[in-house]
Amino acid sequence: MGKVVMNWLLVIGYWLLGSRNGVRRFAAFCIVFVLAGVVLADGGVAVYERNCVACHRKLPVTLDKFFFNYLLKYSSERQVKGALFKFLKHPTKKKALASEELITQYGLMPKTTLNDTDLRSAIDVYWQKYKVFGKIK
Amino acid sequence: MSASNGTATSISRSERRTLLRFLGLYAFLAFLILVLGSTIYYKLQKDLMLQTKRLELEEYSKELIDGLKLLHIYFDRYRTYPRNPLYRSAIYDADKVRIFSTLKDPKGVRLEKVIYTTDHVIQYVHVLDSYYLGAKYVVVEIDDDGRWFVRTWKNIFLYGGALLALFLAAGLVLVRLFLAPMRNAIRLLDRFIKDTTHELNTPVNAILSNIEMIDPRKLDARTAKKIKRIEIGARTISNIYQDLTYLVLNHQIASQDTSVDLSRLVAERVEYFRILAESKRIGIEIDIQPGVERRIDENKAARLVDNLLSNAIKYNRRGGTIFVRLRPGELLVEDSGIGMESGAAKEAFKRYKRFDESAGGFGIGLNIVAMIAKEYGLRIDIESEKGKGTKVWVRW
Repeated sequence: MGKVVMNWLLVIGYWLLGSRNGVRRFAAFCIVFVLAGVVLADGGVAVYERNCVACHRKLPVTLDKFFFNYLLKYSSERQVKGALFKFLKHPTKKKALASEELITQYGLMPKTTLNDTDLRSAIDVYWQKYKVFGKIK
Repeated sequence: MSASNGTATSISRSERRTLLRFLGLYAFLAFLILVLGSTIYYKLQKDLMLQTKRLELEEYSKELIDGLKLLHIYFDRYRTYPRNPLYRSAIYDADKVRIFSTLKDPKGVRLEKVIYTTDHVIQYVHVLDSYYLGAKYVVVEIDDDGRWFVRTWKNIFLYGGALLALFLAAGLVLVRLFLAPMRNAIRLLDRFIKDTTHELNTPVNAILSNIEMIDPRKLDARTAKKIKRIEIGARTISNIYQDLTYLVLNHQIASQDTSVDLSRLVAERVEYFRILAESKRIGIEIDIQPGVERRIDENKAARLVDNLLSNAIKYNRRGGTIFVRLRPGELLVEDSGIGMESGAAKEAFKRYKRFDESAGGFGIGLNIVAMIAKEYGLRIDIESEKGKGTKVWVRW
């Protein structure tokens, strides 16, 4: 969500919260919930950007190539996300979809330090970014 | 008496009925077999058509998979789904969620099948080993022109109809073949009964007329008693003879309706039966209004009255009474006999129905009464109480 919109929402929320009108106060709470959701979602993006993109940027193979490898092997959203989660929690050569050369050169991906919630939200962001649903013409 | 329903006409009627029932059953079974055969034929034709189309659809699916492979590799550059005017297609992921579709109706897809036809389309499902773009199932669809369907139904109607006709013709021949021995046996029996009935007339008449010629006053008491017994026996035989003649021969002949003095007729018949009643010590009381007339065949009217009286004697107790009353429009015969269970009265008019096997007769008496009543539109009411007796009204 755009920062300008968020700022405006904060201002309106603050103003409504000060009101004595019950309806306005309720509207203020709704805005707070929306903003909290946005912050949490943005939190997932931040986790993804910090923990996935930052590291993969150094590799010669882009993140979308890995995504399409997962898609090729696991097909559905549920299975792709499940496989990614398992791999990131306990990476092994057997489970890895990267090529032998890549692993030899850059090593196997280290075990994730993220907790389950952050890891799942990062995977969700990854899926949203590269999924094919709605993109095929 | 005939062992069949009485006459040659009813033989052929019951024969025709048997024939029709058998043919009905036969046709039903033949129809069932044809339906089963047609279903199998239809399924085979459908499978044959699908097998033929399958080769074509497999080619299309291969082409589509190649396209998907390219799209998977170059998805960062190209996003256009591979299309071909010859077919429509769709891709589904491992959880059967639709990824993309150009099908007419993507909702009706059955991914668990391989090839099938639905709503004028033929759909072929190919399961992928490598899930390009996440697609596990590839569905390729072409239009079903329905020519095989029309051809199949045409054949079913044409050959099925011919087969049904053939079955029916064979059934007709078979049923005639099977019924022939039974028909011959019934005709033989019928012929025999007719001849016997005819031959019975002369001796019975001879006995009765000779007895009437004997003057009882010239006989001693013992001989007179013997002669009386002979007369009772002969009259019983004569009555049975009359019934048989009626059943076998008479009611085929057109009725000779005249204005009959029923008062005279009933009185005569009561007198005729009095000697039989006396043998069981049954008294007959009469209350006959003179001058009651009705247009009827006299012979048939006599049969009706005779059978009512004969039944009243037959099913009466020893020393009982019979009351006969005649009024314009009504004849009542009441006995003090064994009576019938409630509900049995309607059954009484069925042929060969007897409620007391110990009493003589063939159970045809009331059936004759019913036949005559039906012919002349007479209404018969029976009121009977077990152990007390029976009242029979004939109303017109």
